[in-house]
Amino acid sequence: MPLISFGSILSFAEELEKKDEAFYAAAAANPEFSELKDLFDQFLKDTRNNIKNVQRTRRENVTEMILEPVKGFTREPFCEEIDPAEAKTIAEILDAARCLEKRTETYYTEASEKIKALSEVSRALKIIGKKHTAHLKKLDTL
Amino acid sequence: MTVPMIKNYINGEWVESNSTTFGDVWNPATGEKIAKVAYGTREDVDAAVKAAKEAYWEWRTTPPLSRARYLFRLKDAFEENFEEIAKVLTTEQGKAIDESRGEVRRMIENVEHATGVTTLMCGYTLEDIAKDIDCYGHRQPMGVFAAIVPYNFPAMVAWWFLPYALVTGNTYIVKPSEQVPMTQTKIFEIMEEIGLPEGVVNMVHGARDVVNGLLDHPDIEGISFVGASPTAKYIYQQCGASGKRVQALGGAKNIVAIMPDADLEQGMPSLTTSFFGCAGQRCLSGSVLVPVGDIADELVEKFVTASKGIKVGNGLDEQTFMGPVISAAHKQRVLDYIEKGIQEGATLVLDGRNFQVEGHPNGFFVGPTIFDNVTPDMTIASQEIFGPVVSIVRAKNLDEVIELVNTRNYANASCIYTSSGATAREFKYRVKPSMVGINIGIAAPMSFFPFGGAGNSMFGDTKGHGQEIFNFFTDTKVVIERWF
Repeated sequence: MPLISFGSILSFAEELEKKDEAFYAAAAANPEFSELKDLFDQFLKDTRNNIKNVQRTRRENVTEMILEPVKGFTREPFCEEIDPAEAKTIAEILDAARCLEKRTETYYTEASEKIKALSEVSRALKIIGKKHTAHLKKLDTL
Repeated sequence: MTVPMIKNYINGEWVESNSTTFGDVWNPATGEKIAKVAYGTREDVDAAVKAAKEAYWEWRTTPPLSRARYLFRLKDAFEENFEEIAKVLTTEQGKAIDESRGEVRRMIENVEHATGVTTLMCGYTLEDIAKDIDCYGHRQPMGVFAAIVPYNFPAMVAWWFLPYALVTGNTYIVKPSEQVPMTQTKIFEIMEEIGLPEGVVNMVHGARDVVNGLLDHPDIEGISFVGASPTAKYIYQQCGASGKRVQALGGAKNIVAIMPDADLEQGMPSLTTSFFGCAGQRCLSGSVLVPVGDIADELVEKFVTASKGIKVGNGLDEQTFMGPVISAAHKQRVLDYIEKGIQEGATLVLDGRNFQVEGHPNGFFVGPTIFDNVTPDMTIASQEIFGPVVSIVRAKNLDEVIELVNTRNYANASCIYTSSGATAREFKYRVKPSMVGINIGIAAPMSFFPFGGAGNSMFGDTKGHGQEIFNFFTDTKVVIERWF
């Protein structure tokens, strides 16, 4: 499905963040991964902040004068389901988290480029994307 | 299926009208009835005016900064309910959800601007206008004001006026369009949370009787109106006859000129937004596209291609770029204009008639429609269509463009796309319309600049929002003072 508008790009970002939120909530609650609970709780908190930031960006930066269509951007590359219930070991849940973070980071990188005509929005998406980059770096140390 | 009945809001209470006449509210994307609204009566107006009048003195003596604090609370409440307002708006009006978000944003921007009251409402003073005599000009609120607002921007337009009326110490009555009463009802429900004193804001739904009740009422100081030009003129005349202040904003026939040196790649997305955003139902929509000189063939081809790619559908779908028009009757009116264009000899290069949206067989959709080879005298080049219909009038040079702009029956907005500063200056200097876009397809002033046209696009002398609006809602009392 194409992402052709300001709203669809921001709403899909929210959708991805909510998937991340569900992932980290499930991972943090799983006793098998108790040694990572603090990390997943922190990521969960970060994700909830990201959701607020995405919503605020959508609210505050919508400008009808320049609501112009976006081209060449679709949801499909970002739609793979990543289910924390499938992970049975620490290594598997970390791999799943890396996939999740990589996907979201890539989305923000591409979305910020597609919507660069709205520079404040583009910048906001880049900043959120960097938070996922930081998550990835953290995961790579484990 | 039972649908909700929309109520009036008078003196801090949700009340039913005593009317026996009702109208239906439709979802224009699905063609379903979603609510009923009473066409209020003069008794409803009387009750609202009485409440507003009784609330006035206490509100008027509330310090401006305290009044502004209600608006700060209101901004927070609107931000919290932002998506909900946008969804209600799209459901009853049809526009794409991003357009609704943009509208709600602009509504909030007016609240934000109005909070500057402690600067913007200041008067002025001069010592020693004569020996030992000083002079002051105080801006004082006046009493009860009212707004009569249209269907195309159900959230925003009332808020071009309301926050300024309130923050300057007046009390207020809003009459929303009877076609879209749900959005303002939602907004008033949210407004209840901030605890304004009873009677400070009121809302009466209805049609002609409510309008005339407001126009005739001796206790109303002024009227703000936005709608069609004939109605704007009527409102202006009626208010003049009854001694009210009035600002009556009317229709438009906006011209967008494309000079040969325009950057088409950069400009094309904003052109489609200008002509087809809100399905052409806004007073700032591009209506006549004027390619100048040898750019015409290339422009028409690119514009038609871009327009064919517009996703038309239910505005609640995030993928939708253009929603339906407001009603079945308005759809027919737009279709009649298309027929008129064909009859008068224009070339229909993109036909939006019989446009079907999957899953929405009963929606009031008209697809993007483009006429080429339109001449200035044709009906579709001179009358306001208020739909997704573009008339392309080819011009030889800038003088022809300016002549075309200045001979329309309206003077709301006009835009030019060019790489030349000199051309842009010539255009903005000579055209009559009051809102001008340079490489912008929708010349929509934000809350801190005035909004309104000239000629038949506006009756009255004080425009919507901007700094001027503080003049509309206040009387300057001059005190000349000497002490012995």
